[in-house]
Amino acid sequence: MISDNAKKQIDHWIEKYPQGKQSSAVMEALKIVQAENDNQLTHDSIQAVADYLNMPGIAAAEVATFYENYNHKPVGKHIIRFCHNISCMLNGADDLIAHLETKLGVKTGEVTKDGLISVKKVECLGACVGAPMFQINDKYYENLTADKIDDIVDGLQ
Amino acid sequence: MADIKIEIDGQIVNAKAGETLIAITDREGISVPRFCYHKKLSTSASCRMCLVDIEGVPKPQTSCSTPVSDGMKIHTQNEKAKASQKAVMEFLLINHPLDCPICDQGGECELQDVAVEYGSDVSRFSEGKRVVAASDIGPLIQTDMTRCIHCTRCVRFGSEIAGMMEMGGTGRGEDLKIEPFLAEGITSELSGNMIDVCPVGALTSKPFRYELRSWQMVSNESIARHDLTGSNVYAQTYKGQVKRIVSGDNEAVNETWISDRDRFSYEGLTHENRLLTPQIKVEGQWKEVEWNVALDFAIKGLSNTVLNNRKAHKLGGLASSTTTTEELYLMQKLLREIGCENLDHRLNVNNLDEAIHLESNLKLQALEQVDHALIIGANLRLEQPMINHRLRKAQLSGANITALNVKEFDYNYALNHVSVAPNEIATILAGVLKIVLEKKSIELPEYLSAISPSSSSVELAKDLLNAERPVILLGEHIINNKQAASIAQLIAEIAKQVGANTLNLSISANALGAQHVNFVPNSVGMNVNEMFKAEMRAFLLLDVYPEYDFHHANSAIEALSKEDVFVVSLNSFNNDLVAQYSDVLLPMAAMYETSGSQININHDIQSFTAMVKAPDEAKPAWKVLKVLADLLELPGFHYENSTQILEEFEHQPAHEHSQETAIDLSQQSTAIETVWMHNCYHSDALLRHAKSLSMSTLGQVNSASMNANTAKELALSDGDEYLGVPVDITETVADLCVFVNSNQATNIRSMS
Repeated sequence: MISDNAKKQIDHWIEKYPQGKQSSAVMEALKIVQAENDNQLTHDSIQAVADYLNMPGIAAAEVATFYENYNHKPVGKHIIRFCHNISCMLNGADDLIAHLETKLGVKTGEVTKDGLISVKKVECLGACVGAPMFQINDKYYENLTADKIDDIVDGLQ
Repeated sequence: MADIKIEIDGQIVNAKAGETLIAITDREGISVPRFCYHKKLSTSASCRMCLVDIEGVPKPQTSCSTPVSDGMKIHTQNEKAKASQKAVMEFLLINHPLDCPICDQGGECELQDVAVEYGSDVSRFSEGKRVVAASDIGPLIQTDMTRCIHCTRCVRFGSEIAGMMEMGGTGRGEDLKIEPFLAEGITSELSGNMIDVCPVGALTSKPFRYELRSWQMVSNESIARHDLTGSNVYAQTYKGQVKRIVSGDNEAVNETWISDRDRFSYEGLTHENRLLTPQIKVEGQWKEVEWNVALDFAIKGLSNTVLNNRKAHKLGGLASSTTTTEELYLMQKLLREIGCENLDHRLNVNNLDEAIHLESNLKLQALEQVDHALIIGANLRLEQPMINHRLRKAQLSGANITALNVKEFDYNYALNHVSVAPNEIATILAGVLKIVLEKKSIELPEYLSAISPSSSSVELAKDLLNAERPVILLGEHIINNKQAASIAQLIAEIAKQVGANTLNLSISANALGAQHVNFVPNSVGMNVNEMFKAEMRAFLLLDVYPEYDFHHANSAIEALSKEDVFVVSLNSFNNDLVAQYSDVLLPMAAMYETSGSQININHDIQSFTAMVKAPDEAKPAWKVLKVLADLLELPGFHYENSTQILEEFEHQPAHEHSQETAIDLSQQSTAIETVWMHNCYHSDALLRHAKSLSMSTLGQVNSASMNANTAKELALSDGDEYLGVPVDITETVADLCVFVNSNQATNIRSMS
């Protein structure tokens, strides 16, 4: 379930914590395993991480379900994380999310039929100065408008 | 901790510095509302309900997480405190469905009680409420997680008390859900306690679902008798039926927890196999009759076969040790009065010449204080759940624990597991004794001269010698070990030399009661196995089910079924086998239906009264035995209640059975040995009839575990059966032995 390469990476994180506290590495371990499995965590992979770190499965699941960046359903090649917290909301994020949903033909939390793009509503990404904004993979896009969104999304391959 | 004084609501109260405020208010009888706080669990301070006002502190504080200091002035009832508590209550009710009319918790619900006092009549919340999809977590616990207020008591119970974190909080914020991760749901042997700790109706008893309201039932203290703990419980009854068992409080016994088998075994009481009327067998046909007819028939049968012709030595009396001490006392008194010395309760022991004699000299509360424990031949978690719980507490406070077992079980705390085949145990212990004696420069007895201690022996001896308060626990897996008596004696010797206490957990339920009233043959009597070899003419059986209870089940059934053998069975359940060999069936009251007592591992005589009347014609066995004695015109049976019986035997010194057998290490068996254990939810008749327990994950376990090498030796593979039990190949079992954990009948056991 966990590749040797992933184990090596996880071990690197385990080493940072005192002996016997290997479960502290759970967030990184989940991230590493997710990256190796189509950017997605399954029940089995969470259990595998828990087993590897010698912790109860449910304890790993608590972490995995708490944070937005762990995916529990298939996701697209590109993930659009649309902020809908207060600054973005006041600047029209809700309308823009609706626009994006219509454009892609999916609801937030879903993935396009071609598997290219998924859309998620997320909490504040700390870029209020450029609200409304979203993040695609590791990159921030700020001061969004409907036109700007169309351009950005059309450019995704 | 220093003694301090604090002021609560204007009242000066003594406390220790650092105590939590809620512990003090609870002690002083000052009511502070709470949901997440539980005295036996860690503090989470997540429900916020216990907010109080502390002078000099600007914001209200949670009393469950506030340590007190000298001179602190606390207000639990002033405007600020009340307003905070009401505000929290309003928040907690936002997402609560308020479906009290259809909720099983209604009437015994902490949320309901507190809401009556602190809640508002009208909700200001007009938005949609959160709904959580139903999930099935097993046959014992019903979930309605929409009602959950996220107090996390069940989660903390799992990780802190049950020792296996099965429940957890997934998701976040409004999406937070308390649920198990695994598809099989909750599998802990203590899971039912989650029902007790849940302050709302999110976790309720599944077998009790929609049965009754709590106020309709009468709740009385009783004792659960499925293991050596004798957990204190409340039996809740309605119209003559036990409807529910909940845990009682007794720090010396079970604290405030009970095992699932203690909680759910009551379901067996209403099983369709209950024996309800006296029956006699006339010309091979069963006939339901009145009690006096059945008893006369029994007397006549016993007279014809053994009594009239001075053949009391051809009568055998056998009893299950799950019966009450009073029943066992009366039965042995009756048998001895008519000159019969053949009586026994040690039905599952293969060779009684190798019977285990080891005293239990450590009380449960002291077990928590040990710094080293050596477990030999026991899967304590399933066999003695509350004793395991105490040991787990010892481990968590630093005790070093070692288990010498045939299989690496699912222990719920950290211990050193040493895999041993049954035939290695005596040698390992002899090695330990040798090292200990050598260290103390004590002359070695003859039987140790040829022993050369293995590395395991060295390790075990080192731990025992280094410990200040060690304990050695001997478990049930050893009873049929070929060297059982030697093992017990080696343990006693080692314990004496290293100053260890011992606990003999190789016996079941009320075996200590049976020992106390001397329910074993004296020198002229026959033990259970000898009876089946002798030409007996009659048997008196007390709640015996041969296919499960006897080690030599086949020869037992054969001896009981003989044409000219007259069998009187006092039973709470009937089945085809019992009907086949019995000549008279006398229906007896089961657990919670009779008064009596049990002697638990603390050597406490725990008395209980009958919670309900036995169904139909069934009667408490002590009454039946008394009437039988009267009909036989035996003197000294003028009892009006079971307390008079108790008074007769309670001050008798307990009978000692420490027949010193010489330690013999020469008999080394090389054959593949089998340790047969009943599934923990099939260990007595009542449990075997409790349906929900049988359906649970633990109740379903039925496997003969062995490693690949043993399987090869036995020419078995996955999917095969060994002694009728499905083979499970796992490397957690020691080489060349088989560990059977089965929910099947055992007439196959005599093959091993």
